[in-house]
Amino acid sequence: MWKTILRRFLIMIPEVIILSILVFLLAKAMPGDPFTGSINPKADPQQIHHLMKINGLYDPWYQQYWQWVVHLFHGNLGNSYQYQEPVTRLIAGRAGNTLWLALFTMILTYAFALPMGVFAGRHEGKLPDTIIRVYTYVTYCIPFFVILVIGIWIFGYVFGWFPTTGSISAEASGSGWLQTIGSRFYHILLPGILGALFGTVNIVQYLRSEVIDAKGSDYVRTARSKGVPSKDIYRHHIFRNSLLPIAAFAGYSITGLLNGSIFTETVFSYPGMGLLFVNSISYRDYTVITALVLIYGILNLIGTLLSDIILSIVDPRIRIE
Amino acid sequence: MDKKKLALSAMAVLATVSLAACSSNKSSSSKSGTTASVKLSPAYNNTKATDKTATKNSTLKVAEPNDSPFQGISDSVLATNSEDADVFAPGGSDSLWKVDKNYKIVDGGLANQKINRKAKTVTITLRSDAKWSNGSKVTAKDIEYAYEVIANPKTTSQQYSADFNHIKGMAAYHTGKSKTISGITYPDGQKGRTAVIHLDSVTPAMKYSGNSFIWSTVEPYEYIKNVPIAKLASSSQVRKAPIFTGAYKLDKVVEGESTTWSPNKYYYGKTPQIKHISINVVSSNNIDKAIQSGKYDFTVPGSVMHGTDYKQLKNTKNYKLVGQPALSYDYFGFNVGHYDTKSQKNVMDKNSKMANKSLRQAMMYALNLDAVTKKFGYGVTWRANTLIPPIFDKYYDASAKGYPLNIKKANKLLTDAGYKKRNGSKWRSDPNGKKLTIYFGAMTGTSAQAAEYQDYLQQWHKVGLDVQFTGGKTMEMNSFYSTLQSPKQSKIDVYAAAWGLSSEPTPTQLYGEDATYNMGHFVSKKNTELMNKMNNNKAWNDAYRTKAFKDWQEYMNDQAAVAPGSFSYNWGPVNKRVKGFDMSPKNNEFWSSLSLTSSSLK
Repeated sequence: MWKTILRRFLIMIPEVIILSILVFLLAKAMPGDPFTGSINPKADPQQIHHLMKINGLYDPWYQQYWQWVVHLFHGNLGNSYQYQEPVTRLIAGRAGNTLWLALFTMILTYAFALPMGVFAGRHEGKLPDTIIRVYTYVTYCIPFFVILVIGIWIFGYVFGWFPTTGSISAEASGSGWLQTIGSRFYHILLPGILGALFGTVNIVQYLRSEVIDAKGSDYVRTARSKGVPSKDIYRHHIFRNSLLPIAAFAGYSITGLLNGSIFTETVFSYPGMGLLFVNSISYRDYTVITALVLIYGILNLIGTLLSDIILSIVDPRIRIE
Repeated sequence: MDKKKLALSAMAVLATVSLAACSSNKSSSSKSGTTASVKLSPAYNNTKATDKTATKNSTLKVAEPNDSPFQGISDSVLATNSEDADVFAPGGSDSLWKVDKNYKIVDGGLANQKINRKAKTVTITLRSDAKWSNGSKVTAKDIEYAYEVIANPKTTSQQYSADFNHIKGMAAYHTGKSKTISGITYPDGQKGRTAVIHLDSVTPAMKYSGNSFIWSTVEPYEYIKNVPIAKLASSSQVRKAPIFTGAYKLDKVVEGESTTWSPNKYYYGKTPQIKHISINVVSSNNIDKAIQSGKYDFTVPGSVMHGTDYKQLKNTKNYKLVGQPALSYDYFGFNVGHYDTKSQKNVMDKNSKMANKSLRQAMMYALNLDAVTKKFGYGVTWRANTLIPPIFDKYYDASAKGYPLNIKKANKLLTDAGYKKRNGSKWRSDPNGKKLTIYFGAMTGTSAQAAEYQDYLQQWHKVGLDVQFTGGKTMEMNSFYSTLQSPKQSKIDVYAAAWGLSSEPTPTQLYGEDATYNMGHFVSKKNTELMNKMNNNKAWNDAYRTKAFKDWQEYMNDQAAVAPGSFSYNWGPVNKRVKGFDMSPKNNEFWSSLSLTSSSLK
């Protein structure tokens, strides 16, 4: 078991290195530089050249890459050109927002999807199952950003029930921790609910088919013949067993949520890593782009690893020795 | 107030309904200029009485439309984006000057300035009650420290420009040869109220705020002296707890999202009336909905609002739309030369594709800018007639005709210059009979912009010119400017772009012989001469300087190497509970003049 994990982990190292080189090269290959956006009559080109020079932006890419790697091992991801502060601090300031939103969305997703999946599987082929299936397919078909835009319009502007921008209201910040947490929670409520309602398809479908499989399995038949009440069979026998693959799926869903954060944060002007990523691309803020892609990449790898580990715990057959 | 509006309406730029009568006697001079089809006033004259209890107890909610969180650099020397300036605006931006409607520096601000032409000095004297929002005195060192931050060899500031080299010792400090700037002295000590700036020459531009010689803000030296200048932009003194000299003091910054303010009891000017101000970043995609649902009192004056927003908001209940011509213009540039990196000068190439003046003029006459701006600008954008925007009241040439649609003239100009259709081709070839394909460079933008570009191409095709997009499509902003800024390029022959201006409009940095921003590389003796006239010794005389600006505008219009595209309003919605709103430059007490007529948003 540990061997598998260790091997998986070792494979990750070259993956990360290749990823970082690719990201670095692609970022540099984009036309323009961090100061292109500063073209205005007040910014002297000489000063821009001076800034390009002291930031090493005229050096060949391998030198810049090496510099970056050396700094990386000192825990220094460089300075953001746009924000003029250390990238680590910039990302740390945003990461919390993204993680809270992702965590909240994930909890809600499972809270919606688990009962739906079990219910659909239990009533296979009947009306509730059809309704749930139609629901999941419809949500699967509509692009997520469309949902976000419609959602913010209806619930944010027409009804005015939810805040439409930011992660905390200006009034709540600095007026006690209760208000702060309350306001933060209020701000992730709508994107969280939308993300959960429209992100259920995988879990529901997996769970549904697991439940249907389990219904016909030997241990369920045994339990039935023993006279165990149907309610208890579902709760103790079927649900638990069907849940295992879903648990294994958790790793992937974390990474999925992080990727989805790019849409959610852009629509809700929610200052997290996703919005930062989109902005840094248009600003050519190389240091931030490379750092974020690397972080997203590593998180993806970890998510996959996590899923593999859970899977191999759940199902010893797939352990590759 | 009346005088101001009268002047503006005389330029045929804006006039309120109430003042239309006053302006009629001067309307003869406004006939030939171009105008916006919508008339906006920079002020909202709320006739309701101020509700004193509401004003004392409520929060003024202000929106900053922007697609990304703000950077959070409160220091104007270091900030690189207008959104930072916007969200920290109630702090007064630490501005030294009080200005009149032409951005001319007048007495009565944080400091007064005196230019001594003989001694070539500028003396800046702080008012005796000038204080920072933490109660400490504003000193002469605070004036000087701004220059240190700008010019420090390790600075992250982008503000240093060649014009600062006119200050004695500035270049030596900038290159690290000297530890101090020898050309800035303190007659009554660093903690005194006076700083004297010694220059090798003084120019009339120095009379105006926003000039590139004399920096216009102060830095709180005592407060930030322990932070290395290279790290200033990321320090908490600049990001979390900055101090200001303006009407309001900062209570709290939520990184990238919002700022909150309360009155600064140490402010020297008019006492601020509203208890709290909060400024929130709102995504530009959501700003219309946010206003329509009554979430904000107004958008920060000067923030970016588009024509499409105007279309959405013009009939919004409980909001009045205000505006004034923006400090910017859209233009068409023609590539007529290259930049010689050795001599660091722009050089015109007589044989370049666009070197023929008639060709350039014809291309401009072929465009239907009036119709395009009307259709896609929704009234807040209009055809520009010159390269100085109308906000510069004094210098703007209202009588310039610019390039209205005239297909007949365009065709004649082309044919007369030898650009004829030969061998039955549908396209004109150049005077030597060679095939002529002109490449148009344009930046990818909104769908409205895309439609505008298509219209330009169609118009050019109409007069028989084979004009195509560079690379077959619009260009992403970064690649557009990388292409244009390369010293020599032949990918773009004509391009559409825009300039945002400082409040001092001398165009040398854009169109001068050694200007790297002169991306079309148009250079002529006459042009240099005309631009020099704006700031020579005679230009201390206002009438002379005004004439110099107008002569230059006329010349540039005739040459059509850089041709005016469009002007637009800088505009925004104001909720009808707000009183005292006036965004015009001469209102130096913008934030402290505001009050409320009701405790909740209408």
